[in-house]
This record gives sequence, C-alpha cells and structure tokens, in this order.
Amino acid sequence: MAGSTKNSVHEIFHSMESGPEGASSTNTAQAWLDHRSRSLGLFIDGKLVVPADRPSRSLTDCEGAQLCSVMVAGDEDVSVCSSSSVIGFKSWSELSCSQRAKVMLRMVGVLGQHAVCVSEVCDVCEAACPPASLIRLLQFYSSWAQLRDALMPSWTPRGVVLVVGSDDCSLQQLMIKVLPALAMGNSVIVVPGLSSAPPALLLAELFSAAGLPAGALNVLTGSDTLFGAKVAANQNISYVTFSGNKQEGVLLCEATAGLGVSVSVSSILGARCPFIVFESADIDSAVDAIVQNVFTKRREVHWVLCVQESVQERLVSRLRLRMSGMKSLSLRSEEERRLVEAAVQEAEQQGATLVQSCSPPSSGAQYPPTVILGSAPSSPCVVAPPPGPLLPLLTFRSNSEAVALANHSPHGLAASIWTEELTLALETAKSVCVGSVCVNSVSLSDPSLPVSPHKESGSCTDGGQEGLYQFLRPSSSSSPPLPRSSPLSMDYSQFGSAAPPTTIIPADSASTPKSLPQFVGGKSCKSVSGCSLKVQAADGAVLAFCPDGGRKDVRNAVEAAVKVQPGWMKKSASARAQSLFSLAKGLEAKRRDLSASINTQTGLSLDKADEEVELSIARLNDWAAYCDKLQGGTPSLPLSGSALSLPEALGVVGVVLPDENPLLSMVTLLGAAISFGNAVILIPSEKNPLPALTFIQVLQASDLPAGLVNIITGYKDQLTVSLANHSVIKAIWYWGSAEGCQFVQHSCSAPLKTLLLSIQQKGGERGRDWTHPSILEEMGRNAVQWKSIWIPTA
Amino acid sequence: MSARNPGMNLDLEWVSKVRVNTQAVLKRAQQIQGQKLPKKQWQAAWLLKAVTCIDLTTLAGDDTPSNVHRLCLKAIQPVRHDLLKEMDMHDKGVTTGAVCVYPSRVADAVKTLKAANSSLPVASVATGFPAGQTPLETRLQEVRLAVADGATEIDIVINRTLAITGQWEAMYDEIRQFREACGDAHMKTILAIGELGTFTNVYKASLVSMMAGSDFIKTSTGKESVNATYPVAIVMVRAIRDYFLCTGHKVGFKPAGGIRTAQESLVWLTLIKEELGNDWLSPLLFRLGASSLLADIERQIYHHVTGRYAAYHELPMA
Repeated sequence: MAGSTKNSVHEIFHSMESGPEGASSTNTAQAWLDHRSRSLGLFIDGKLVVPADRPSRSLTDCEGAQLCSVMVAGDEDVSVCSSSSVIGFKSWSELSCSQRAKVMLRMVGVLGQHAVCVSEVCDVCEAACPPASLIRLLQFYSSWAQLRDALMPSWTPRGVVLVVGSDDCSLQQLMIKVLPALAMGNSVIVVPGLSSAPPALLLAELFSAAGLPAGALNVLTGSDTLFGAKVAANQNISYVTFSGNKQEGVLLCEATAGLGVSVSVSSILGARCPFIVFESADIDSAVDAIVQNVFTKRREVHWVLCVQESVQERLVSRLRLRMSGMKSLSLRSEEERRLVEAAVQEAEQQGATLVQSCSPPSSGAQYPPTVILGSAPSSPCVVAPPPGPLLPLLTFRSNSEAVALANHSPHGLAASIWTEELTLALETAKSVCVGSVCVNSVSLSDPSLPVSPHKESGSCTDGGQEGLYQFLRPSSSSSPPLPRSSPLSMDYSQFGSAAPPTTIIPADSASTPKSLPQFVGGKSCKSVSGCSLKVQAADGAVLAFCPDGGRKDVRNAVEAAVKVQPGWMKKSASARAQSLFSLAKGLEAKRRDLSASINTQTGLSLDKADEEVELSIARLNDWAAYCDKLQGGTPSLPLSGSALSLPEALGVVGVVLPDENPLLSMVTLLGAAISFGNAVILIPSEKNPLPALTFIQVLQASDLPAGLVNIITGYKDQLTVSLANHSVIKAIWYWGSAEGCQFVQHSCSAPLKTLLLSIQQKGGERGRDWTHPSILEEMGRNAVQWKSIWIPTA
Repeated sequence: MSARNPGMNLDLEWVSKVRVNTQAVLKRAQQIQGQKLPKKQWQAAWLLKAVTCIDLTTLAGDDTPSNVHRLCLKAIQPVRHDLLKEMDMHDKGVTTGAVCVYPSRVADAVKTLKAANSSLPVASVATGFPAGQTPLETRLQEVRLAVADGATEIDIVINRTLAITGQWEAMYDEIRQFREACGDAHMKTILAIGELGTFTNVYKASLVSMMAGSDFIKTSTGKESVNATYPVAIVMVRAIRDYFLCTGHKVGFKPAGGIRTAQESLVWLTLIKEELGNDWLSPLLFRLGASSLLADIERQIYHHVTGRYAAYHELPMA
C-alpha cells in the first residue's frame, strides 16, 4: 500500500480493482476455541475429556498462526473409548427406528442453531463443510433411520464402526460415513485427521446435546493414520472405513491386515479426474466451470483438461481472457510452491507452454492459476500432479479417444463431460470408469445417489440405499462375520511360494486315474507348467490328477476374461438371464456326473450329493432370474435436472472357493459374478476340486462367451498370490486360511481391490450356510458397483 | 477512442455453430449474484463508474421539453457537487454516459446541453421503438431524422419477426442499412431478448448484430415483460467476447430495463469485469440504460461520504 493515493476513489475509479477481500468473520470459531483454552481433548462417552499428560499436535491456520492443539490419545484412552462405544452401541441400537430418526432430526435443529459456529470452525481449520450439506446429509439419513426395519428387514447393524480420516480429509467426507453408520444403529468412533479434528469434536458435542446417547459417537485424535490402525486393533471394532488420501489409505490397509475386521477405503483426495470438453460443448460455460472449480482455494482432486483438438484454440483463448486478473492462490506451505515450480519448469522443458493469470511470486506459499498447454498423458504433471492450481491440457481427436484418455488413469473418482449432444453425453458417461459423472457441470453430489469410486479411488459404495449395506450385516446367522484375531507375523513375499513338490504323472500304468483338464479362455487345457496334482478323496485315495496351475495360467485366464467381459456387461440383462438359464439346464443334463463327483470327492452319500446338485440347479435359475432385478434408477434430487444411478459390473473377479459344498458354493459365486456382467476366475478348493472339474463339461456345452468363466486348479496359496498380484482383477472373494486373508488384505491395498473375505472353519464348525437364500442378495451386492450420472437442466 | 466496429460479412456457419447450455448459464448467473461486492471506497469508486456508464433515460408518452431539460441537467451533474468534492472527484468530469430520449425530443435535449456547454452525447431510440413493427422505409427515415436533429447515438430495435424465424440474412441486411443511416452516430442494437425465446437465439442474434456493424448490443427496450436479466447478459457478453476473439473488434454492451438499485449496478460491473475484463468497464463499451437507478446510487454515495442514509428530498431530482 503506497500511501493513500493508491486507494483513493479516483485511483480505484480508473483501476477498477475490487479491493481487499473482506476476511470473513471467525469470531464465533475463535470464541469456541478460546472456551476450550485452545487445547482440544477427546470426546468420549458424551463429553469432552482432557486427560492429563498427553502429547499433542498443533494445528495452524492458513497464515501459519497457531490455532489450537489437538491431543494424541494414549492406549488407555483407546480402551476407555471402545468400551464406551460398546455401551453406546447397546443403548443406541436398542432404540426403535423412529426414536433414532427423531434424534437425528433433532441434530438438524441443533446444527441450525449453531450453523455459524460450525461453518466458521470448518473454515479456520480448512476442513470445508457447508452446514447446508451437513443438514442435507442428516435429513436424508434420518429418513433411512426411520425406515431401516421396514425397508431392510433382514439386516442388522454391525456394531462399533470406526471412521478414520487422513489429515487433509474434510469434515464432510467424514460425515458421509459417520451419519449413515449412525442411522443404521451402529455406534461410531471417529478418528479425524488433524484439520478435521476441531469440527468433529464440535459436532460430537452438538449431536450429544441433541440427544445422541453417550458413547454412540466418540471422537479420538491421534498422531497419524496409523493411530487409526491402533484403534482398529481393538477387539470391539466390527468395521473400519477410511476417507482421505491414497497413501494413508494404503498404510491403514496394510496395518489392519490380519485383524479380522473388514476395511473399506475411499481415497477421494488427490484423485486425477478428467474434464472432457467436446466440440459440441458450450465452450464458454465449460471455461467458466474450469475457472470456478479447478482454480479454487481448496483443491481436493487433480483435474486434467481433455479438449477436442478442433476447439482447443477457442477454449484456450477464452481461458486466457477469463483467467487474466485472477490472483495467486494460497498453498499449504512454501515447500509446496517449490514442488509446483519444479513441475512447471519440467513441463516447460518438455515444450509445454503456460497460460498463467499473473507471474508466479518468488516467495511465499502462493501460486497463480496455471494451464499447461501441450501436456501429454506421459507428462510428469499428469502422471504425478503436484499440489497447486495447475491444470494440464490434453487434446483428443475423436469421441472414443476422449474415453480412452479419460480411462487411462489409476484413479476412478469423477469426471466432468461437456457437450450439448445428449447421446454423446450418455455414451461417454457410461464408458468412463469413474464413480460419478457430471454432464455440463462439475463435482455435484448428493447423499441420495450411491457412488462407488473405481480403481484406486475406493473400495466401497457411499450414498443411497446401496451405501448403507456396508454398515449392516445379514441378521440371519447364515454368514458369520470374520473372527477377530491378531495379525500373524508373516513374510508376505514368501506367502504361497513354498509350494510342495509337484507330482509328476506316472507315464504308463493302465490303472492310473485319468487326468482332468482345467478351463481357461473357453478351452480345457493343461497347466502352463505341465505339472499335475493328485486329487484325493477324503480317505486319501487318488481319484484323479488335476493341473497344477500357476501365475501364467492366471495371466492367460485374465487376458481371455478381460476381452469378453465388456461385451458380456453390455448384453441386455435378459440375454444374460437366458445364458444362465441354459447353464442351469446344462447342469441338469449332467446331474448324474456331478453328484457322482461330489460323492467320490467328499464321501457324501449319493442322496445328499443329489440334493446339492438340485440346489445348485435352483441357484443358477435364481441368478438367471436376478439378472434384471438389480436396477438403477432416477432418484429425485434437490436441484433441477435428472440423475441416473446405474449398477455396473466390477470387471474381472477372482474367486478362491471354499471347501464346503464344493458345487453349490461354486455356482453361487459364479452366478453372482456373471449375472451382473462380471467375468470370473475360479480357483476350486484344493481339497475338493473334483466337482468343479466335472462342471467344466457343463461350461463347455453352455453358450457363455469363451473366457467369461475360467477354472484353474492348483495350490490355493500360490494361486491366491497370482490373483492378488494381477492388477486387472478388480475384486477377490476369498475363502481360506487366516494367513491367506491377511495376505490378501495386505497385498490388495495398492492397487486397491474390493475384497470379500471368509476364514475357512477348521474341523466340524459350521461356516457359511450355502443353502440359505439370503446369500443371493448379499453376494449380488458385492458383484456390482454404482455409478451416478448427473444431467442438470434448467 | 478505439476504432468502431466496422462489421463483417455475414458468417452463417459461425452462427450455426452456437451452443449455449441454459443450466450452466443460470448457475453462472447465480454465482455472480452471490459474489462479494466491493466495500468502502472501492464501492464508492465503482458506483461512480456506474454513474458514468448510465444512459439516463426518459421514454414516455408525456415527455415534454421541460422534463427533458431537467433530465439533461441532472445528467451533467449526476451526483451532488459537495459529495463529489469530499471524494476529490468533483473535477474529474463525472457525468452520465448519455441521455436517452425519443426522436422527437432529441432537439430539446441537444438544445439544453448546448446551452449548458456540455458535450454529453444525446442518444435516441429509433426504428419503430419499441416494437419495430413499422415498414423498413419509415424506420430508416426515423434514424436519419434523429441524426439530423443532433443525436450522436441511435438505439435501434431489431426486427424480431426475422430473428425468431431464423431469417438471419434479412436481419443482417436491415441492420446494415440502419448502420448506414446512422453515419457517424454510434449504433446500439436492441435485441429485445424477452421475445427471442432461447439463449441460443439470443447468442445468434447478438453475433448477427455485431457482424452487421453494431457499436453496442443492448438487451431490451424496457417495454417487454422480460428485461435485462443476468443470465441473458452472460450470453450476450460471451457473444461479444467471441466476436472480439475472432475479429479483434470490441463491441459494447448495454443492459436496459429494470435496473433500479445501486447494488444491482455493482453486480453488473462485476459481471462485465469477470466475463470481459477491465477494458469493458468504461462508458465507451458499457452502458446501463436506466431512469431511477441514479437516485439510488446517489443515496449510496451520500451514505459513503456522510455515514447517514439520505431521504430522497435531500438529493436533487432528475
């Protein structure tokens, strides 16, 4: 400010500057923090507690000033908290649905009274969460709390749910998980990251004032995400869900492997999202959306601008005009500016040119909005985008190239598509592999739409009715939850490698049992290694030989599967149903062979074996009938326009089958996978592979596309490793040892796979009841992911 | 002063490629209205800028030399002298952008301004304002007569019949002829957006008007049911930006009708600043067609200077 003439009316009259941005008031937030003496404690059992002598972390505001300190809870705090949550779960889940709904509605009222405080606390902590969206979440989930028993009668809450956020996770992302968990009757322990800790504590206080029973919502703060894993190790936790950046999500998955608790991840922060502009777009509006959504103060995702070559110039010239005069945006630290600078320099060295609103400052934690022209998918600023307001621009030639460009990314969170052509918009929206697509708009969200981020961006569905099931379990005892355990000390790199010596088939003897082929890519074949294993009956007699499949066999199967899966998914549901009906018919034709195989393999009486075959036929018919029953819809929205909610196949699913009911369990899982459009690679039980091998004849006679269903036999652990190490496989359904479960949990965190784990019961204990019909709904839900497509209209 | 827009040959391919997403434009309009407006001296300066961009207008059947006389003198001294002096703006030539009257009153306005030694432009509406439903020959003659009487700016209305039915060539030819009839007088083309149906049509009509050589495009006559709205303005200024990027000529923009409060005038300036940039924040390229707006702005300036809210009678009437 050079003297008073600079800001005289006359000066401004000529410069037409907008003046300083009136800093929004933070008085209420500061008063709340002062009231807490600027050192926050933990929220346990309905009150804020400040145990003495705990270390703390300090939280600073955007200008680097000390805001408050956040406590690092100790082991005793964790155990106090978890027992409180157990009691909280009891009192909360004992309430009737309508009582719970009433409490949640009261939360809306309390939140309304303290909206200013909540939004200011979120603002100063940079854990953005507009109170309006919190209220929308509360209202939406209170209605589900009210109707849980009416609409989902055969499901009960899981128990104590742990919600973990990374340090940069916003309050809203936490609440997207906390509120549905509460609505379903669970008690929740929140472990927020550093920035969302103060608002999370504030909300816990407010919710408690609204009548949430003590212990139903506890907040623990700790040193980092691994603190979350420490809390997860507590035996009372029944489900862990994470929201935040990818690195910490991976850490949490690895640290919780083997705990016997299922963990789901939403790696929303830092995902790379395509912003696709077709030549048929309203370019001006697209430019405006870029300026408003990409170059914002808080950037949760990295956008990549994909523009059709024919309109690149038009778009860039408008961007240039529109960006001129934009001010530099703040970064988190000076260190970040250096990272951004280095990335920009590197891009320039590779021949990229910049569109920059002003020249970058040489110091301070700031950087101007920058578009990097001439980027390519291989550019470092695209592959590993630095933090900061950078927008790489890629060009594409055709509509299909746009989709290819968009999908060529390890992330699958969201996309924005700009075109005035409805057909093109819908075609593109359906082909991009992301959870949420906004047509002619950006980053819309609403709790009524279920969204499953694809690929590395997440492994769970949030929102809508579908998003509630992660916080529920079937009330029938047909599917026991994972037994809690402590992680085994194991060498992950050695798992599955110490295969016992392979049996070579004796060449000539006439009395040798026959050797059966496996089924890869629609052909029955030997294993690539050429080796075989003995198939032994319960009494140890050698019944046959089966291929000793390995890494290469899995690779071949995946290659075949990935070729046919998209076509299979695109087929109409009724066409898939027809194929499944005929598969059931094929099984019926071979019923004798199958029941004989069950009989010889397991020693089950022929009558019982017949029964299992009958059930299996019925199961396939059930799946055939299910094909067109899982439908998306067009939920009503709080804005004008429409949105589509679509179930989509996961892709290629790897299934390691259980020993029990070898035929029934196989057709159940096979049917679940393929009836909703997935391809599947089945690893039959090492102990009882004969029925699966016999079933190959049924598959051969069926009209399923070659490669859709693959059966590979061999050592379970070895094949599990092969499945886990193949990135194309999107999900693994595993039945096996505790060690195997731990291995799968540990190694399927990066790249992320969706997991369904069961520990095989040893001895006579009953595991899952495969004959129970509830298994259909449960498995069906695991076989799809949900996409939402927003089409706002005037 | 920048060169006038000479116009260009009608490019129907360009016109046909126009795409406007209504929903996105509405959202943008909402976003602009939700933005924080300048405060303190920034607000005062912006309000004075708005004053200099006003086309102070009277378009009524009962206009007579006496009220036109009052209007012109208010236009020369739009804000009380002592208030301007407080802000050190009294000697910076703060007047409205122009006065705007019916063709028959042009002579009265010119006479008053000449007597007051002012070079303030006199704008006249013409071409069968507001409906434009008179024969082309009389519409052209109206333009010529207004210019002859001393109007230096002519606000013409387009032939909506042609625009709605997509007869762009015919519309282009008509506007071309108006431009010729205007001679050196600047031509503002009124699109009467309330009667054009869709945003796409507004964009197309804007483009054709600019191709035909308009110096300004103007939203509406103030006599239709829908007047200057922010979404429509966004569409029009984007067409202006489009035309500028393709030809290098800057065409002005004039929203008119229904703009009454100081607050609204600030939103309008924000919209222009963001969509077109600071170059357009000048009476050469931006005008606000209004009659009662000035009184509200003057009151706000009074408040800025004195910290008190003025009664209307404390400020001179127009």
